Amino acid sequence: MTMAYNFQIIEDCLKCTFREHRLFCDLSREALLRLQSIKATSVYPKGSLLCLEGQPPRGIFVLCTGRAKLSTTSSEGKSMILRIAEPGEVLGLTAVVSGTPYEATVETLEPSQANFISQAEFLRFIQEHPDVGLRVARQLTHNCKCAYGEIRSLGLSNSVPEKLAKLILQWAQHPLEFASKKPQETAIRVTLTQEEIAQLTGTSRETVSRVLGGFRKKGWLRVKGATWTIVNKQALENLVTT
Amino acid sequence: MNTIPLKSEAANELYASLSPELRTELANHERSVAVPAGTNLIKRGVLPDQLVIVNSGKVEITLDCAHESILLDCAMEGRVFGMRAVVSGELPEEDVTCQENCSVTLIPRDMFLKMVRQHPEMYFAIAKVLSHDLVMAQRLLKTSLRRPIRKTIAKPLGLPN
Repeated sequence: MTMAYNFQIIEDCLKCTFREHRLFCDLSREALLRLQSIKATSVYPKGSLLCLEGQPPRGIFVLCTGRAKLSTTSSEGKSMILRIAEPGEVLGLTAVVSGTPYEATVETLEPSQANFISQAEFLRFIQEHPDVGLRVARQLTHNCKCAYGEIRSLGLSNSVPEKLAKLILQWAQHPLEFASKKPQETAIRVTLTQEEIAQLTGTSRETVSRVLGGFRKKGWLRVKGATWTIVNKQALENLVTT
Repeated sequence: MNTIPLKSEAANELYASLSPELRTELANHERSVAVPAGTNLIKRGVLPDQLVIVNSGKVEITLDCAHESILLDCAMEGRVFGMRAVVSGELPEEDVTCQENCSVTLIPRDMFLKMVRQHPEMYFAIAKVLSHDLVMAQRLLKTSLRRPIRKTIAKPLGLPN
């Protein structure tokens, strides 16, 4: 394994220690050997565009390390973030399977490793290895469930404070270890800019700034660079009515 | 056996990706019925006993959201419903309701899963159907981000804005 950007590059899928915890990657040895021969591993710096909305599908990206934002642009040129993809996700799957253009633009939010598999190779891979088809079906089912959850969340959250509280609580499910000094506090790493948070919640950067300022003033949240500390989780939970 | 034939054997999104042999084998287990407007083809929270293929007529797909319904899509012939629930065993989150008199083909869940076990290459066709569901959800999500979701749902359902 080689090091880059403070993380180990996993070039051999058979040796990947994260494999069994990931929805797509936990394949049979035979399928993994095939995957190994058809994938191209690359490391991308923050801000790299993996695919563009509306572009004909070239292939899929298995996000091994790092996170990426999936965004869409309105006809007025306004950019909105659909969701943040986490390690282990397969990106561009619907486009490649259904042969339609990519539904979203995928941009890395931090240095990331992704394995690219071309459309033709991937479709052959599904046909030749039944367990890959099963994994793809599971991943699509999971993605659909997430999308329904997002739709519900958008339909239910009326105020920006509620939307932001929901988002922060969602991030708090993956806290930074050893970062908070007090046990009741939860520290999280937020790599999104306020503009990106605004795009994620369907509001303006100014509103995000104002609402976060309000959370800080009330002593619910401490912000130090990319490290946010949730001081009063209960207060944020009380904001979330649905 | 199919009593109301499809316009074409490959007229639905599932059959379109299957080999003629598999389509023939599936056809041995399918049953076509006419259903009146208002029929709930897939009911939220209830594991469907069968896959539902719409042969003709219009159906609406809705998602429950705090006692309100969000209209996900209106679908016509060729759409397949219940796939996620049948494949994963998870209860459906959406309701699929006939907006007009429809003709549908039903394939029993157990029979379908048995065939998938025997012919795992069917997963590709399954993935296509699931992709369609996901694209539909993603498109609504995009629309909803551009304007409040209640407006999105209010128009098609005839609810007040």
